[in-house]
Amino acid sequence: MTYYLIVCRSLTFAQRTAAALERQGIPAHILRTPAVISKRGCSHSVKISQRHLTGALVALNRAGLSAGQVFLTEGDGSYREVSL
Amino acid sequence: MIYLDSAATTLQKPPAVARAMAKAVCQLASPGRGGYPASMQAAEVAFRCREKLAELLDAEGPEQVVFTSSATHGLNIAIRSLVKPGARVVVSGYEHNAVTRTLADIPDVQVVRAAGELFDPEGDLAAFASALEQPVDAVICNHVSNVFGYVLPVEKIAALCRDRGVPLIVDASQSAGILDVKAGQWGAAYVAMPGHKGLYGPQGTGVLVCGANQMPVALLTGGTGSASREQNMPEELPDRLEAGTHNMPGIAGLSAGVSFVRSVKTNRILQHERSLAEMLKLGLSRLDRVEVIAPPASCGTGVISFRIRGMDCETASEGLARCGFCLRAGLHCAPFAHETAGTLDTGTIRASFSVFNTQREVEQLVYAVRSVAEK
Repeated sequence: MTYYLIVCRSLTFAQRTAAALERQGIPAHILRTPAVISKRGCSHSVKISQRHLTGALVALNRAGLSAGQVFLTEGDGSYREVSL
Repeated sequence: MIYLDSAATTLQKPPAVARAMAKAVCQLASPGRGGYPASMQAAEVAFRCREKLAELLDAEGPEQVVFTSSATHGLNIAIRSLVKPGARVVVSGYEHNAVTRTLADIPDVQVVRAAGELFDPEGDLAAFASALEQPVDAVICNHVSNVFGYVLPVEKIAALCRDRGVPLIVDASQSAGILDVKAGQWGAAYVAMPGHKGLYGPQGTGVLVCGANQMPVALLTGGTGSASREQNMPEELPDRLEAGTHNMPGIAGLSAGVSFVRSVKTNRILQHERSLAEMLKLGLSRLDRVEVIAPPASCGTGVISFRIRGMDCETASEGLARCGFCLRAGLHCAPFAHETAGTLDTGTIRASFSVFNTQREVEQLVYAVRSVAEK
């Protein structure tokens, strides 16, 4: 399944991000960022489905939360950074 | 036992606090350290606690709410972030040693005490305004005196600081959970408080609200579960100030305590405690040999200090302890406040209330003080 990962600067920021999305009805799941894309080492990301990216970015912008890095999962399990 | 030392620690807690702590011991691991349920549930508990505190204390957001081990811990972070060697710092006449000893530990700090007449908010405000006419690196102000329950005019002092661009640290140890603490509205750089007093959490918990754009000094360095490749502490809050494993039972208990405060409402808690204090003040003032040192109700809370003429305050407190009363005597770690009140040489006996105290307990204390004073 293809989905997006919003990489967050801290766990608390990830929680704020997920809470803001869920308030807008966008399902959001916090998980540990895969090591391959966690450049600073150990972080948390918010996972959203492919169809919710646009709505999520709008919701985060309204909430004053910047999305930072966003990655799209590829079918082979790799990740590709999405330029916003 | 009648517990009247809530300015030190609220011993009587809402039952939900102990339940939350017991559950945390059994079910919660470390937040941010794993993606498994016990870690993520811990993260959720910590986040909900931050959210509630951010709302209660007018913090910019949950990231600005940092868990500490005590108010002293938080004040150390705040003071050591803003006060450098040689700094000029203005403080109130009612500061606790958590502030004054920390300032004394920084070389060559000039501490200016801004104090009007005893229990005179307008006089205190004027003293701060006067002290701020010269360059100042930071202002540190107690919101409520732990010795006398006196409420300082923090809102107006904060306005003075904002006008002059001086960072403000507020010690909300005695006010959090009782008065409105408005970190955001005040524009305070830092507001520190314990979790175990008016927020009804357990000992070993504290909160530091960091103002926007503050880059506090990390007194404790170590693992945060984030940015682990980097050898400097992360700049992001709260991670920057929360190295090491979180006190999850404490945070869960604090969260339950904060929920209790929010459900009862701070203004009702203040009203209750202040009415008990006024009742005690009236009862003690009718006794021979008893001297009450307390502000008027308009700028008082649930704390009353008194002395028995001709009797050492520690001896009197021991006598009251034998009658079943838990009171604190001495200088209450606040020699500045006692100096301001002229009680430095004798100390005082302090009764301090929580939401769980009753009028009947006040009546019993007055009776006990009378019998101790007559001995």
